[in-house]
Amino acid sequence: MRHVYTPVIGLEIHVQLATESKLFCPCSTDYIGAEPNTNVCPVCLGLPGALPTLNARAVELAVRAAMGLSCEIHDGTIFHRKHYFYADLPKAYQVSQYDRPLADRGELYISGDGGSPKRIGITRLHLEEDAGKLVHSAADGRLEGARESYADFNRGGVPLAEIVSDPDIGSPREAREYVSALRRLVRYLGVSDGDMDRGSMRVDANVSVVKSNADTGEILYRGDRAEIKNMNSLRSVERALEYEIRRQRATLESGGTLERETRHWNDGEGVTTSMRSKEAALDYRCLPDPDLGPIEVSREMLDAIRSSLPEMPWEREARFIGDYSLSEVDAAVLVETPALADYYERCVRSGASPLRASNWVRTEVLRVLNERGVGIEECPVRPEELGLLVSMLDEGRASTTVAKEIFGLMVDRGLSLQEATDRCGAHGGLSQEDLELAAKSVLDANPDVLAEIMGGRDLKGKKRKFICGLVMKETRGRATPGAVEDVIARFLEGME
Amino acid sequence: MQLSMTAAETARRVSEGELRPLETVDVFMKTAREREPNLHALLAVLEERAGHAAERLDASLSRGEGPGPLSGVPVVLDDGICVRGTPTTCASRMLEGWIAPYDSAASEMLDSSGAIICAKGNMDEFSIGCSTETSAFGATANPCDPGRVPGGSAGGCAAAVAAGYAPLALACDTGGSLLQPASYCGVYGLRPTYGLVSRWGVAALAPSMDQLGILSRTVEDAALALSVISGHDPRDAMSSPGDRPDYMAAVAVPDGKDARRPLAGRRIATVAEMRGGSDLAGACREALDRTLAMLAEAGAELVEVHLPLSFNHGLACYQVLLAAEASSSLARFDGVRHGLSAEADSLNSLYLGTRGKGFGREVKRVAAAGTYILGSDRYEDCYLRASNVRRRIVGELLDALAGCDLIALPTTPTTAFRRGEFDGDYFGMSLSLSFTVQASLAGLPALSFNAAGAGELPAGVQLIAPRRGEAGLLAAAAAIERVRASRDEAGERRSER
Ligand SMILES: [Zn+2]
Repeated sequence: MRHVYTPVIGLEIHVQLATESKLFCPCSTDYIGAEPNTNVCPVCLGLPGALPTLNARAVELAVRAAMGLSCEIHDGTIFHRKHYFYADLPKAYQVSQYDRPLADRGELYISGDGGSPKRIGITRLHLEEDAGKLVHSAADGRLEGARESYADFNRGGVPLAEIVSDPDIGSPREAREYVSALRRLVRYLGVSDGDMDRGSMRVDANVSVVKSNADTGEILYRGDRAEIKNMNSLRSVERALEYEIRRQRATLESGGTLERETRHWNDGEGVTTSMRSKEAALDYRCLPDPDLGPIEVSREMLDAIRSSLPEMPWEREARFIGDYSLSEVDAAVLVETPALADYYERCVRSGASPLRASNWVRTEVLRVLNERGVGIEECPVRPEELGLLVSMLDEGRASTTVAKEIFGLMVDRGLSLQEATDRCGAHGGLSQEDLELAAKSVLDANPDVLAEIMGGRDLKGKKRKFICGLVMKETRGRATPGAVEDVIARFLEGME
Repeated sequence: MQLSMTAAETARRVSEGELRPLETVDVFMKTAREREPNLHALLAVLEERAGHAAERLDASLSRGEGPGPLSGVPVVLDDGICVRGTPTTCASRMLEGWIAPYDSAASEMLDSSGAIICAKGNMDEFSIGCSTETSAFGATANPCDPGRVPGGSAGGCAAAVAAGYAPLALACDTGGSLLQPASYCGVYGLRPTYGLVSRWGVAALAPSMDQLGILSRTVEDAALALSVISGHDPRDAMSSPGDRPDYMAAVAVPDGKDARRPLAGRRIATVAEMRGGSDLAGACREALDRTLAMLAEAGAELVEVHLPLSFNHGLACYQVLLAAEASSSLARFDGVRHGLSAEADSLNSLYLGTRGKGFGREVKRVAAAGTYILGSDRYEDCYLRASNVRRRIVGELLDALAGCDLIALPTTPTTAFRRGEFDGDYFGMSLSLSFTVQASLAGLPALSFNAAGAGELPAGVQLIAPRRGEAGLLAAAAAIERVRASRDEAGERRSER
């Protein structure tokens, strides 16, 4: 009997909500680079007598995310305390939601392995507070073997939305697609910056493998799922899942069984290692939080949030494909963040042809941003000016070489389009005289080609184009194709 | 017993310049110095802070700034209430030496009312206990009989008010932890409606029931203190907005035709399930009967209500919920951030060492019970069941209160018990809360006052009102106070003849 092994993957993603203050206290959420334990107060330190008050903005952002995921949103859900002892958890319980999440039963479409859109169900979305951070003195930064550990509570109490998917994800590639689709969504909604490397988006995966008869499809064995933690990038999500599925499959093939456990992804070694087994699983002793009332989500609040929702990324992508005739791949690149898509559209609106603008944004602009390690917000060239520059190309008023030179001046020297164009000179600093000289020297050097054209044997105009190409080369790309064609035409006319 | 002035009288004299704030502090300090060796009602005397507060008040009064309603009134706070820059131990080794870095809402409001916070009262460790004997720093004696307990957890505060250190104390009531000591020490105890007084800065025991309350020697002082500390606080999500009635008007002497029968038209109910109970001590039954007679004299109509669920299952329900919530509240004491931190070579040994050494026996017992109750395989059977019973008890009490204005019953089934009487017998001791847990479970306001016969040990009677019915409680207690005063006067006249 032949067997097939089908992976079953569900993802639990913690998204840090882009609020200014923490979930239950007025402390700043801006913990990156802050002096340890400076963004803290009695509430987020769990001092005796301190009480939480719910940040309404966090609820609003969570509701936005839930709407983007087409979830059912519930009024009057409650917070639970989830108890466990750990040095980064000040109250020894995390305020989270348990059996009554803020939202559930949603969906998100990704590009499936079959090539067509695939629906991934959203089990639930709930609000909870983040824990602090521990810094260990051990060489590998882990608790084991560390002589000293320091707790920093700046991150403690920062609002998170935990988004749990149904086990609908069928491969590591789909998992990666799902994570990037979700990241794009939260960025569009302004719910989170979605930066995985800064920990604004943290992915845990539940993975199991189903063994079935390849011929009949009969399910022979369902492995218990493993929860994989510590995947800090899209790439590591994909790699960790590939490894884990291989490991589970190999275990089954060699006659082993799979127990429910939690495993840690080691990115350096490319393996997952067991953290704790089912027997050691924590009992969180959930208790409805008596210090917090139900989360109020009124109809008016829902209406107000719904009417403030932006165009969704998939809607924008479809519009780019339809309105601007972009390819799916190009449209996907441009709608990755709302800011990039806005940049592109402003460029088009100032007159650039959509296709050429798409090429410029995806190549020139993104290259500059990558080199500088900045976001589109800090792009040195304003989209309106890029649009005008691209339209100079569209209208044959500049050659590609000159346009790139102008763009380079704008980027490197911070010049405006006008200044950069002046610096390069009209037609790239090439006078009509220079152009005529170049044309003459090309024609002089190629008398046999000239003879073929003059003899009426260049029926498809290929020779003529060849000559124009040589002239362009002679001007080192500075002449526009239109200007070269004009000057060649005049020369040929003069010879007839 | 030389008692200090009432809060109202003190504030009046200080406002009018007859008395200087430093003098009231001196009286407090002197009384405390004399009585403390025998009573041990206090865990910390804030002599320096009180001195500074008195000087500041003095200066502001001499600048002609308007006096606050509690100007110059010495106040004791139980040691679970944070006062910035002063030790707050909850009577536990766990917080020994911990200096609160922030102020509770109560201490802020007291400060701005002109009151002078003079000391922190002894209590049962983390409010767990009914006798103040679980305090890690030694028990408190009952000022009325040093061989007896003052009750608890707020025993230190009740003793300090009864012994005349100060006319007012604030303490947290969870299931009777303020009402029961008020009954044992013979003072007024007011547990306001859940949510009427901010809990900000008050160390939690069972947050769904914890409520800051007042201990005083007169009903007028209770009304005065309530006017100062009640009100909405956005820092406490359970604090409820809404208008507050004039509590001082409720205790003012009525005039005109109402003067003799101020409670005319009021229906005051006794509880059928309690009156026949054999567990009720004679003195407490007599205290209730005496009170009912005075209520009738003041014009109230006496009726009877049935509260079978509340009185047959209230205490068990309370115990389950208390343990569950307390285990959660106490979880934060782990040695990482504040208070005691044991020497340890691993995180786990830090927890075990800190909690092993820092918590006393009763605290450990309750934390362990709560942890057991919240276990995922017992949650439904224990916690959820108790929550459902609680909901039904709330319904039963609210139904009863729809048919009457107040419920009257003894605060405690017995008078103060002897020190050491229930050593290790937690369940036996907790029976002293048999009549106070109901108001706690339902978040209702209750007011206890002494109704013992002359020369007897104090025996409290409590009135329970609908939510936010504090004015009705205060008015009824004021009426009783006046009936008693006129009887005393009549008695004196007879004996003179
Ligand atoms: Zn904070």
